[in-house]
Amino acid sequence: MARKANPARLVIALLVAAVLAVFLLYTSIAGGGNPSLAPSEVAGRSGQLQLAGLVVGPVTGDAHAGGLSFRLRDISGPSKARVPISYTGSVPDLFKVGRHIVLSGRLRNGTFVAEPGSMITKCPSKYVPKKSGEPT
Amino acid sequence: MTLALVLAALLAVACVVAVALPFLREPEPESDSLDELDEAERRRLEQLEARDRALAALKELEFDHRTGTVSDDDYGALVGPLRREAAATLQALEADRPSVTGAPAEEGRPTRERIS
Amino acid sequence: MAELGRAALIVTLGLTAYALVAGAAAAHIGRRRLALSAQNALVAAFGSTLVASAVLLAALLRNDFSLVYVAQTTSEALPTAYTISAFWGGQEGSLLLWLLVLTGFGAAAVRLNRGWARDLVVWVVPIFAAVALFFSFLVVVVASPFATQSAPVDGAGMTPSLQNPYMLAHPPLLYLGYVGLTVPFAFALGALISGRMDERWLVATRRWTLLAWTALGIGQLLGAHWAYEEVGWGGYYAWDPVENAALMPWLVATAFLHSVMIQEKRGMLRVWNVLLVILGFSLSLFGTFLTRSGVVNSIHSFTQSSIGPWFLAFIALVVAVSLAVVFWRLPQLRSPTKLESPVSREAAFLYNNLLLLALCLAILWGVVYPMLSEAVRGEAVVLGRSYYDFFLRIFGLPLLLLMGIGPLVAWRRASLRSLGTTFRWPTAFALATGAALLALGAGSSVPGLIAYTFAAFVAATIVLEFARGTRARKALGAASWPGAFSSLISRNRRRYGGYVVHAAIVLLAIGVAGSSAFDSVAEARLTQGQTMSIADYRLTYESLEERTAPNATELRAKLQVARGDRDLGTLEAGKNAYTVEQQVSNEVGIRSDPLTGEDLFVIAEQIDPDGTIYLRVFVKPLVNLIWIAGLVFLLGALIALWPDAREQRRLVERTRDIGVPATR
Repeated sequence: MARKANPARLVIALLVAAVLAVFLLYTSIAGGGNPSLAPSEVAGRSGQLQLAGLVVGPVTGDAHAGGLSFRLRDISGPSKARVPISYTGSVPDLFKVGRHIVLSGRLRNGTFVAEPGSMITKCPSKYVPKKSGEPT
Repeated sequence: MTLALVLAALLAVACVVAVALPFLREPEPESDSLDELDEAERRRLEQLEARDRALAALKELEFDHRTGTVSDDDYGALVGPLRREAAATLQALEADRPSVTGAPAEEGRPTRERIS
Repeated sequence: MAELGRAALIVTLGLTAYALVAGAAAAHIGRRRLALSAQNALVAAFGSTLVASAVLLAALLRNDFSLVYVAQTTSEALPTAYTISAFWGGQEGSLLLWLLVLTGFGAAAVRLNRGWARDLVVWVVPIFAAVALFFSFLVVVVASPFATQSAPVDGAGMTPSLQNPYMLAHPPLLYLGYVGLTVPFAFALGALISGRMDERWLVATRRWTLLAWTALGIGQLLGAHWAYEEVGWGGYYAWDPVENAALMPWLVATAFLHSVMIQEKRGMLRVWNVLLVILGFSLSLFGTFLTRSGVVNSIHSFTQSSIGPWFLAFIALVVAVSLAVVFWRLPQLRSPTKLESPVSREAAFLYNNLLLLALCLAILWGVVYPMLSEAVRGEAVVLGRSYYDFFLRIFGLPLLLLMGIGPLVAWRRASLRSLGTTFRWPTAFALATGAALLALGAGSSVPGLIAYTFAAFVAATIVLEFARGTRARKALGAASWPGAFSSLISRNRRRYGGYVVHAAIVLLAIGVAGSSAFDSVAEARLTQGQTMSIADYRLTYESLEERTAPNATELRAKLQVARGDRDLGTLEAGKNAYTVEQQVSNEVGIRSDPLTGEDLFVIAEQIDPDGTIYLRVFVKPLVNLIWIAGLVFLLGALIALWPDAREQRRLVERTRDIGVPATR
């Protein structure tokens, strides 16, 4: 009996191609993600960024009124860079001076203005990082 | 502190005994070779699996037809080849070795040692 | 007693090393007593790990702070239940738990299958031993739970968010799942190395995979519930790498549970199934690595942990060796049966596999992208929630639809005409439901509406299957309708158990769609007596209360809830200040509506000294369906897992026919 071309192989190949096409479409339209930087790397950068660092006091202001103000420094390394942060929105429970946090936002006139509710604190016991607000 | 060491020593001894047990139980065994299926047995196992698979497929087709998942037309088209396939697997089994029930020792094959 | 613990773990290390070497040698040269000795070593390794675990547990319960681990994870004031959960709360203890479950499963799997799959088991022993050796090495050399110090007065205590009933069950269940995937892996690799590639390895591991998959599923739902109630940010899943770590192997295991049926019925997809098992196991190792090495946000946290590089090396070794073995046996794996038609149940399962795998790989890409981009471009780029949501919809919605189509398509070949007849009613029902929901305003979210419509379709097909099956059994001579129904399920446990699981996924889809696509949020600053409104609820801030608990001070805002003109009672939301741990945790107030399944979710974001509170309130429709789905999921899994006496008899007869004495 002559071997028929297997339709299934063609269907599978088409599906895999479709999946790849979807993937490429997404990355080209929506772009990649946001760069994740340390405070020492942030100077002069523009656009949406993700900033990860340790909280430096003093912490002033109200996150639900004018905005919470504090500074952020590198997690490790010799850099003395201190980036001023202005944050509005939900503040996670674990937030305090010395905590490792992550924020999204952009640099405006030297101050990093964070997206409301974008603060994540890293849980010290290496389990789930604390989130706050509704990630939109 | 010494209690800890004593318990640790007991644990170690118990584990060593567990590991050495097969050798201690049978210092001079008749056969130390591993119980494995030989070529013929492996082929038979595959044939049995093929038979069970074909029969199960038939049963499922019947059930699917009865529940209405498979239409009458589809059933007609599928049942013939399935029946032939099942018959072929049964034939293959019969050809290889006529049906034997019960103790394999009947055919003079070495009885399997039970590893406990 | 720390010395006993340390010694017991060293004994485990020795036993697993012996089991690996002796087991491999015995299998290769075919020595029965040596093989048995290696088996005993594996079982004994469980015993010694159990001793070590008992030592750690006793030290925890005694508050023995001379053990560094106990001091780091507990305190005097910690309630007993949470002191026990501290066993798996930290790095070293959780590795010990992994090892305990691993050796336990290894011992069980080997002893249960040695009777009828002896020639397969001889190779399973060294492979299992190799994995156990890695973890014993970690707990003996790299991260020992039994490091000692001069005992401080009190321990550091447990992070408040971990002091929650869900934390008692969530990690152990996940570990049962992760470790459970080792068994199919060991059997698959054992089958490949020994050349015994008949279906016995599938049968031996089918139930283990189902068990592991169930544990992973329930564990994840518990984790989601914990995040929802305890972490309290208003959601239940954040696409966090730690969450994805459990989702990825679960997706692969789901794919395997489906494609294994194709191999059982048609003898096809052998290579695919082996690759799936290897991928599932590798992802579970990767998941364990992600959760503990801290590679969460940037590569900086990677270098903070010493465990990370070891794990990565081991994963690389596992993948390399497994692929080499598969490649070696590739000729024998090829099956003669071919896929007959793109419209058949086999094809539906194949599409299901492709979609599940595509989703899994998309998630994996999202997880490793920051690490890769940092390595390549020197800058870690993070993919956000929108990336994951996009792929969940693109792959998840077709999967949902497929769930309704697959079971109603015949094996081998189905004509399009018969499909039209079968799907007439479910399609009509789904379209009617969709139209009704559109009229009710569900058009505000197109993916949400599609999810609802597809869910209606699948629900209709499930009901249809149960109804038609019951009718068929009644026609075959069952005494009564209930009798027909129960005999239907008991005779086709895996199939109908699977349908119940599908029903659970439908509930999950509806719950997720409702709570994420159709929810509302509002914020307000309130002084005592003020009211805020959201959707059709009104909340009035009545008073602020302060209470003392054994290890914390609790601050609660009491709110009066009303809807329309009906008083719905009081709701409390606030914060806990933990004395020992010096941390504050959010305690959200949730009011679940028993009729609609929606939640009123209140977060007291800020409580000012003058009594003013800042509230963030959500209304989440249908969210409780998610937790109900968990129960239905468990029910379906139990039905599928339930031992089938008939099938067991058939297996025993088969092995007896060849001449192998059969045990369970």
